[in-house]
Amino acid sequence: MDEMDFAGPDAIGPQVTIRQANDRHVDFVLSNCDLAFANSIRRIIIAEVPTVAIDLVEIETNSSVIPDEFLSHRLGLIPLDSSQVDDKLVYYRDCTCDAYCEQCSVTLTLYAKCTGETNVTIYARDLAVAEGAPCGTPVINDPDGHGSIICKLRKGQELKLRCIAKKGIAKEHAKWSPVSAVAFEYDPHNKLRHIDYWYEEDAASEWPRSSNADWEEPLAEGEPFNYDAVPSRFYIDVESVGQIPPQEILEQGIKYLQEKLAAIIQGLTGADANVDGFSGGARSPPGAHGANGNAGGRDDSWGDQGYTTPFQSGGRTTYDAWNGGTTPYGGGGGSSW
Amino acid sequence: MSQDTSMQGSTPYTVEEVEHVSLDDPNVSITIQSDPYSMSFQIENEDHTLGNALRYIIMRNPEVEFCGYSIPHPSEAKMNIRIQTYGAQLCPCKVTAIEALKRGLVDLVDLCDIVMHKFKNEMGRFGKHEPVQED
Ligand SMILES: [Zn+2]
Repeated sequence: MDEMDFAGPDAIGPQVTIRQANDRHVDFVLSNCDLAFANSIRRIIIAEVPTVAIDLVEIETNSSVIPDEFLSHRLGLIPLDSSQVDDKLVYYRDCTCDAYCEQCSVTLTLYAKCTGETNVTIYARDLAVAEGAPCGTPVINDPDGHGSIICKLRKGQELKLRCIAKKGIAKEHAKWSPVSAVAFEYDPHNKLRHIDYWYEEDAASEWPRSSNADWEEPLAEGEPFNYDAVPSRFYIDVESVGQIPPQEILEQGIKYLQEKLAAIIQGLTGADANVDGFSGGARSPPGAHGANGNAGGRDDSWGDQGYTTPFQSGGRTTYDAWNGGTTPYGGGGGSSW
Repeated sequence: MSQDTSMQGSTPYTVEEVEHVSLDDPNVSITIQSDPYSMSFQIENEDHTLGNALRYIIMRNPEVEFCGYSIPHPSEAKMNIRIQTYGAQLCPCKVTAIEALKRGLVDLVDLCDIVMHKFKNEMGRFGKHEPVQED
């Protein structure tokens, strides 16, 4: 397998190696990277990548055995197609309308009645998306094309309702999470001893081996514990529910992380005027530090030549943030691990 | 006495000197102390997602003596970050805490760019998706 080949000329800085990718999940190794950043990616994928989900249900008739609020909750959890939702819908709180409109919501209707002798099952496929809706079609993954079960109806029972699906993030409610799980592991041999395994007699024989164990060398016989070692390889598996393809989830996650940062950068830039006023002369003269330009030769320190960022004109100085251990604090003071 | 030595050693500050500076963005506020090399910032609506990664990247800056973050209370969406730089001690550059924060933010944006770039490249190398295997 050539996946182990990290030693190319491009090997400085963070590396990504995809082990498996399809339309349900993407399994990759993020290496030469720190735990804090890898964890930020994991957290943002779980909680802050927006999707659409049913958030409001207007029930006209519900004579099923399931109460209205129970039914609404079930409807909320149905995964709806949300690819590129950022370009398609606005957050309803940011919208100018009073309650909901086409800019901030998608309407799905459900009308079902059992007339025969046998019970009928109502599935997600029975939800009818409003014509011309940019997204919000129920995700159907099963071979029969049913989708999730909403409820069952007996003879004479009827359901008639309108669902309003809105854009949201899982920080507010887990139904908006684009992933069913994000697997995250580092140090499969526990060389760093971040895990204290419980055991009867011998931890190594009683605990199962990690599926990532083959990707790293175990502790050699008699090898001493390295107190300075920090995690640098992360095994991440992004498992999509089906609303957004897994690669897009990861790309969106990184994008939202950058948007958070950009918002703070903007806030601070506005602060400059205020801050300048308070301390006479304490600020360094312009140009004394590297924050003002000096763009030449920047790129090489990132081991990624020819790739420019939209923020590069900003305050980057010549210290080398990634190339590992060249700074006096290269080991990284992990205060919160 | 040269200007450099007068800057040396951090100015002691008192609690009365602590003030809030309002920013354009209501989500960021700075608790300013008279010492520009030691500052605390409060960022609203942020959590460990940003806090820990930012703390790490700011610590990678050799001008920075200390950086730590905390979320004082779990039901308040506020993240505090403390930065202390060497100021004039290490070199005459005199990087202030605000500058260290800004550079940390920019560095983190760049790191995101690199990971995104690497991921897209790798995705291209990996080729089109394999067919879904139903379990
Ligand atoms: Zn609206």
